[in-house]
Amino acid sequence: MRTTLKILLLIGIFINTSCEDLFDYSPYAIDFSDENRDINQRNIERLLNCKNDDTITIAFTGDTHRFFDETELFVSAVNKNPAIDFVIHVGDIADFGLPKQYLWGNSYLLKLNVPYFVVIGNHDLVGNGSQAYQEMFGDLNYSFIYTSIKFVYINTNSREFKFNGNVPDIKWLDNQLQPSIDFTKAVVIFHVPPTDSDFDASLKEAFQNSLAHYNNVLLTVHGHLHHHEIYKPFADSIPFVNVFGVEHLKYNSIKISNNQFEVETIEF
Amino acid sequence: MLVAGVKTFGQVSQNYDSTRYKKFLPDYVKMQFAGGIGFISMGVGYTFFNQKLEVSYFYGYVPESVSTDDLHSVSLQLTAKLLRYKINPNIELMPLNFGWFIHHTFGSEYWIKLPDHYPAEYYWWSPGRNSGVFLGGEIKTKLLSNKTPASGTAFYVRAGSRGLYIASKFGNATIPLNDIIEFGFGVAVYR
Repeated sequence: MRTTLKILLLIGIFINTSCEDLFDYSPYAIDFSDENRDINQRNIERLLNCKNDDTITIAFTGDTHRFFDETELFVSAVNKNPAIDFVIHVGDIADFGLPKQYLWGNSYLLKLNVPYFVVIGNHDLVGNGSQAYQEMFGDLNYSFIYTSIKFVYINTNSREFKFNGNVPDIKWLDNQLQPSIDFTKAVVIFHVPPTDSDFDASLKEAFQNSLAHYNNVLLTVHGHLHHHEIYKPFADSIPFVNVFGVEHLKYNSIKISNNQFEVETIEF
Repeated sequence: MLVAGVKTFGQVSQNYDSTRYKKFLPDYVKMQFAGGIGFISMGVGYTFFNQKLEVSYFYGYVPESVSTDDLHSVSLQLTAKLLRYKINPNIELMPLNFGWFIHHTFGSEYWIKLPDHYPAEYYWWSPGRNSGVFLGGEIKTKLLSNKTPASGTAFYVRAGSRGLYIASKFGNATIPLNDIIEFGFGVAVYR
């Protein structure tokens, strides 16, 4: 009996330590290690500790879906570019919304030399993806200020929330853009653009008004459509930048200085 | 009258038992650890074609202690036992079992049919029901056959993957193969 107990105990230890990654309990089990948790907040702290000048250069990618090898190429391209201050992923890091795909996607981004931020995409929300996103990255809407520019990340995946009238959260956005002495301009980042049918049509005007309200939005950046375009969908002349999906083996970098911005396309 | 009734019932039930009732009893019960269908799964099933084919139905549970939320799921499995060696009168080895499974996770977020708020074919897969394949091996012993009505006890291992993982690995040399493999092991008690 005692031998049996000892064997069972040993098996238990074996399972709980060495083989945690070997055994799968469910495609929806979320059991992230510390390095895969609280990514956005930890990178905000990392970024704020970085030395900065008055020029910010950001590398954008997104819609990485199942383009894992391409994501690795993107990461090594960015690591070779010393001008990049940080990276923004514009959503769809997990094609099926699976926790395992979150882990895979993040495993490449963890190799970036610079801080990185991920905004929530519609694919990321399938199944229990919303929970996986919150565990790995944090709140679905978040912001930070870096060298007097406010970066606002907002969930615009209205369809995933059955067009319930709360996504995007207009009140939150308006509140974020309220002028303060801490920032001069804002950059708003989201996955689904307001011109898309996945965006709640009943909130389109309110979203547009909110962006224009305080006349401080320098530009907005989004993904979802995979191609690159700079356009002005609304009469208020706020530029929208749609950035390349990773599969094009191109990324857009955006340089911000003196409240002006410049978009570049870099092949890799 | 009552006694007679009970007696009659007893006789009927006995006849029923020996002729048909036993046929419908599962041929085995299984308890499995991991393998993608639960932290712990309990299953029952039947064998066909001289034990060459098994059809099993599992209920799997993932407790909160190993995931953010607990998860409930069921899976249906077909296992073909392709090779069978009798090592001695008490031990049989089945080193090559091939299986197919379909796994259904409970919860409204794990839908099977694309919900109405999506246009047709918006997403091509369904989070609530997906299938996969596995390879495994099994050792069948006479354990428990002396003291219980069971004919024997088997221990098995399995390694498999599911369509959603295989699709993720496809075209991606940088995804490690063992990342898409779901390992599991279990025990089966045969009738």
